[in-house]
Amino acid sequence: MERRAFLRNSAGALGGLAALEAFSPLFNLNAAQAARPDLAVVHGASIDKIVRAAVDAIGGIKRFISKGDVVVIKPNIGWDRTPEQAANTNPEVVSTLVKLCFEASAKKVKVFDRTCDDSRRCYVQSGIEAAAKAAGAEVSHIDDKKFREVSIPNGTAIKSWPIYTDILEADKLINAPIAKHHGRGKLTMALKNWMGVMGNDRGRIHQNLEAALADLALIIKPCLTVLDAVRILTAHGPKGGDLNDVKRLDTVIAGVDQVAVDAYGATLFGLKGEDLGYVKESADRGLGKMDLSKLNIKKIEA
Amino acid sequence: MPRIITQTLFLLLFFFLFLQTESKGTDKLGYPVELFLEMDPLVALSTFLSGRSWPEHIGLCLLVIAITAVLGRVFCGWVCPLGTLHNMMGAIKKWKGPQRVRNWFHAKYLLLIFLLSGSLVGIQLTGVFDPISLLIRHLTIGVYPAFNYSANGTMDFVYRTDVGLLTSASDWIYDVLKKTVLAFQQPYFAQGALLSLLFLVILLLNLSERRFWCRYLCPLGALLGFLGRLAPFKRKTSKDCNSCGLCDQKCQGGIKTEAWKASECLYCMSCGDECPKKAVAFGFYVKPAEESVEIGRRNVLLAGGAGLASVAVSRATPLFNPTRPNPNLIRPPGALPEPEFLARCVKCGACMKVCTTNALQPTFLEAGLEGLWSPVVVPRVGYCEFNCTLCGQVCPTGAIQLLTPAQKREWRIGTAMFDLNRCLPHAHNTPCIVCEEVCPTPKKSIWFKEVLVQDRNGQELLVQQPRVDLKNCTGCGICVTKCPLVDAPGVRITSIGETRSKKNQILLSNNYY
Repeated sequence: MERRAFLRNSAGALGGLAALEAFSPLFNLNAAQAARPDLAVVHGASIDKIVRAAVDAIGGIKRFISKGDVVVIKPNIGWDRTPEQAANTNPEVVSTLVKLCFEASAKKVKVFDRTCDDSRRCYVQSGIEAAAKAAGAEVSHIDDKKFREVSIPNGTAIKSWPIYTDILEADKLINAPIAKHHGRGKLTMALKNWMGVMGNDRGRIHQNLEAALADLALIIKPCLTVLDAVRILTAHGPKGGDLNDVKRLDTVIAGVDQVAVDAYGATLFGLKGEDLGYVKESADRGLGKMDLSKLNIKKIEA
Repeated sequence: MPRIITQTLFLLLFFFLFLQTESKGTDKLGYPVELFLEMDPLVALSTFLSGRSWPEHIGLCLLVIAITAVLGRVFCGWVCPLGTLHNMMGAIKKWKGPQRVRNWFHAKYLLLIFLLSGSLVGIQLTGVFDPISLLIRHLTIGVYPAFNYSANGTMDFVYRTDVGLLTSASDWIYDVLKKTVLAFQQPYFAQGALLSLLFLVILLLNLSERRFWCRYLCPLGALLGFLGRLAPFKRKTSKDCNSCGLCDQKCQGGIKTEAWKASECLYCMSCGDECPKKAVAFGFYVKPAEESVEIGRRNVLLAGGAGLASVAVSRATPLFNPTRPNPNLIRPPGALPEPEFLARCVKCGACMKVCTTNALQPTFLEAGLEGLWSPVVVPRVGYCEFNCTLCGQVCPTGAIQLLTPAQKREWRIGTAMFDLNRCLPHAHNTPCIVCEEVCPTPKKSIWFKEVLVQDRNGQELLVQQPRVDLKNCTGCGICVTKCPLVDAPGVRITSIGETRSKKNQILLSNNYY
């Protein structure tokens, strides 16, 4: 118990990545004995390795994906940008997740996003289409007729919205966002990534982004969230374009609780979960936890 | 038969290249989609006359000229995709007895003279009638969007009815269609119905006379007829001919045996195929040239004069006052300054076909009558994709210059300005950041000023109000396309600041030329 308390306290105390690196051997040492963590924060040079280590640390892919599942992995493919520009999820993070799903005997893995720039350019320039396809996923562009109105009885900002059918019909959802700066939400990570399955004039939700994203989290429930922080975009987000705004962290964060993932993600930018309106709103509504000091966070060097 | 096979192959090649004139997610198309425009001597000649320079790729066009000089108008009979469509249309009707021929052969020469003399003084109307430009344009703007609309509509209907097997079958069919003949996204074009209708009329002329267009109107046919009038490859009738007249009935060019002319013959060789006596043959013969079509000196002068005068008629308009530029005339990136642009653009519509976001639309009278169907960016329909240079790649005449990706990202087609009476954060204290979010310049051209405002109850709110950085904005228009005020946006693009113009500028520091 003492060890866990120590872990919790240190996790809370640690913000920066330098600290993470310095302490990582210590965490490794204690890893085996710790109970299943809420979040796994994994740093390392190989993207394949850190994604696998992160998923393993929170229970392994078989905890989330069962034999025969139709899985949707939802990366951020929103922009006509290359991986170096850190505006879309890293293609290798996506392809590793695809591979993991198939290793857990998933029947089918779908990868798509309703992009902001031209969809063809986003899919190609992000590198995600090629990487996910090579890993065996079905990568398709959004088909406008395939949105279905979903009611959100407990929604406060949106009472119903058209959601992409493939999301509604999937057995399992995996959220695979990237951590980026955003002009309105301050940051965009896991919770905001689900905007990519909204139909209609979704731009309107920015009028009450906090509540709308929490509303969305009421109806879209991923079984696993893997936040890509291999490269993060620290300014001029979410579209970026200037390499000077990109910071290389070689890190991914995995968890079941999207709110917790976002709250941890905020620390990568020197912010806290409660600094982000939609994280606070979601936590207040009981959709997840944002208090990192109450979470079991496991940091791994892979 | 060899002719029909050749025509079919060229038509299929044309359609294939037409379908490939579409973004694949990179800045490369992978196929020489402008092939047919490049082999068109009329486009090359009129570009030379009006733009004072030859198109960049001239090889194929010289080949067509050389072939025509030796073999006559084989291009018309064997290659031209519009000619093949005319053939197909004409074949719908059962033709009996001697054909009615109006003998308006000279009309196309007069049209050619009118068009080229116009080109000489910088009026580019050639593309309106050039068959290749015409075909690409009317397919792009009219027929192809309609085809997509019907296919998408059918598939949507089947999807909505949701009847098990039929719906899954349609899903599969839709997938195949998407990968083959359908556009990536439904294209929408202003004047689509008009251009479809005009195209239909041109095709229906074949029911009056077969290949009416090719006989009487086609300026490319006239040019090739002129170039091929002395071709040694000729038709010859042997002594076996009993003047049964079957060849006259079948002739696609509508020429009588006794009045055969290389300039009017489409070299379809139906006459030889049909001849019961096998008395008609094509071969190389050294014999005096046939009498050419009587155009009339007076008519030539008239047509030439009209072409020269067209510049005066169409340019005396405030549209061409460089100090009063049209705010809505937002030309594609790389477009030449307006007069030079108009002198070159043949309105083939290839740029509109390839435009990633459907932003390029045909003008109606915004650029004057001479600018009819030239490309203009309409940001409410689509925006100019930041990393895309495809329109410059497909332009056959250099009206849109090919930019490097780096040049493209710096190129301004106009400037964004907010409508403070509509924009949500400006006029209504309502948070909205869509324009800033989508702004593509690495250092965003839209920035926020945080302003403390009061609502109607006196409550103070902090609102992020978007502002345009005039030094950065390229006028791409994505802020307009994506503005949540879906009817009239809270931000507008006008042409001011466009890189191509010296006069249409705002900032003291912008000195482009």
